[in-house]
Amino acid sequence: MGKNNQGTIKDIQKISEEVYSVKIYAPTVDEILPGQYISILCEGLTFRRPFSVSDFDNHIITVLIKKRGKGTEYILSRKVGSSIEFSAPLGNVFSVENKKTLLIGAGIGAAPLFYLNKKLKELKVKTFFAAGFLSKDDIIVTPHPTLSRKGRGEYDFVSTDDGSNGNKGSICDYLEKLIAEFKPEKIVSCAPRPVLKIVAQTAQQHGLDCEICMEKVMACGIGVCRGCVIQLMQGDRVINKTVCKDGPVFNGKEVVWQ
Amino acid sequence: MAVKTLDLSVEINGFEMKNPIITASGTYGYNNEFDVFCDVKALGAIVTKGITLEPRSGNEGERIFETTGGMINRIGLENIGIEAFLKEKLPVLNKCGIDFILNIAGNTPEDYIKLAQIAQKNNIKAIELNVSCPNVQHGCIEFGTNKQTLYELVQMVRKNYEHCLIVKLSPNVTSAEEIAEAAQNGGADAVSAINTVRGMGVKLDFLNGRFKKTTVSGGLSGQCIKPVALSFVDRISKVIDIPIIAIGGITSFEDVLEFFSVGAKAVQIGTANFTHPNAAEKLVNDLKKFMIQYNFSNLSELQQAVKGV
Repeated sequence: MGKNNQGTIKDIQKISEEVYSVKIYAPTVDEILPGQYISILCEGLTFRRPFSVSDFDNHIITVLIKKRGKGTEYILSRKVGSSIEFSAPLGNVFSVENKKTLLIGAGIGAAPLFYLNKKLKELKVKTFFAAGFLSKDDIIVTPHPTLSRKGRGEYDFVSTDDGSNGNKGSICDYLEKLIAEFKPEKIVSCAPRPVLKIVAQTAQQHGLDCEICMEKVMACGIGVCRGCVIQLMQGDRVINKTVCKDGPVFNGKEVVWQ
Repeated sequence: MAVKTLDLSVEINGFEMKNPIITASGTYGYNNEFDVFCDVKALGAIVTKGITLEPRSGNEGERIFETTGGMINRIGLENIGIEAFLKEKLPVLNKCGIDFILNIAGNTPEDYIKLAQIAQKNNIKAIELNVSCPNVQHGCIEFGTNKQTLYELVQMVRKNYEHCLIVKLSPNVTSAEEIAEAAQNGGADAVSAINTVRGMGVKLDFLNGRFKKTTVSGGLSGQCIKPVALSFVDRISKVIDIPIIAIGGITSFEDVLEFFSVGAKAVQIGTANFTHPNAAEKLVNDLKKFMIQYNFSNLSELQQAVKGV
């Protein structure tokens, strides 16, 4: 009933050294928008595990899952055809607007940007998708094969920390260059917290709009338990917002970085 | 054959609940938030998030930590305050027909008295005294761990509130029996037990040859505390006569029966709401099904049957 759904795993594909693309058939889910996430029930665990949606098309939800603990191990151990219970859709959305947009992903953080990039391209909004990874084997191959370019997925720019593919270094090292060359009106990012902080601050220095997608351990998924709050500065007041319901997408200018 | 009417109702000092399945404070919001997952008004009642006189922003830093069979929280009573509750949340509860218990917490006895007076004035039919929140600096748990202090607090609240007064007990005490007796002697209509168990989660990461440690100290809840709760309820049921509302890891219908068997008259569902957001409604349905199948016509009949074994 409502946001609690039963689905079927349709496909599990390994798409990088540690990341898998999981497709779930969800007959009761009619719409999920870029930025929103689903939260999957994992047998024996208290918390459902949240995953940004990388694509949604005709009741098929795609999420990218990196093996990193009991929850992700449980999901990835499920066989194609097995049923899966999850809450969806949860969270707020990226604003889809006609502004030249620079997308900055890092590691598994690229996940929600695939879906946003697809939507923006459908609307003929100019985008530039830059992503950073540790090494060439970590590069997440796009979940949208039609947008993929050989070896680089659908990225317009790739950096790897060890320089084994694309430009050497952290994606943060290239922010200024990317802004200077692409001249975006807006930056959208999903990445580990330290990267988000740099992206948000850089966007602010350049007077650019900035939306960031954040992650936190969550319990309820609908904003009631107050377990996943972050602080935002709105006007001259610091207020608590939940990543699970008020987010995961926030205005980069408002986030208080501790 | 005539269809027997099924009576699942529970009544405590004029507060009527249509069934004994209640959702626990802090896990279910203020009103109809869980309607996105289930039918909230089908529940016996919800206990609101803990409310204080003034709004509170709660604790900084990591607030929740998953453990084996449960979780630790240190939310720190973040809430909108009683004024906003009355203005924004109470009308929704009334409009949706959701039976509720107002959970109140304070730093001083005066806070509790004022909140009780406000509840009385606004015709709120049930309150639960949070005297056992382990996550705030002052007040709260200090009232719930000393029998004399608790007795005096309950007595003062009682004088200012005539409807259903429930005292939520902490397991972090030397004598469960004495603290329950103090609540009863102070004039409580019921006790709910247990609140969270004091606990600590440690997460160690080993990166670049160095350890990084994250700790979350707060209240442990979930299935892992069920044996603690069963023991606590069992012990206090032998010394007090007022109804006991059991809390502690209740997830399945079997859990509900186990708590009935040690003397509970109703139950609260907490952490299970996070794992299975429709858990509470499912328990109502499971209870109904069981009673119909095995020909129990009312709840106390079932409770006596399971307690008498």
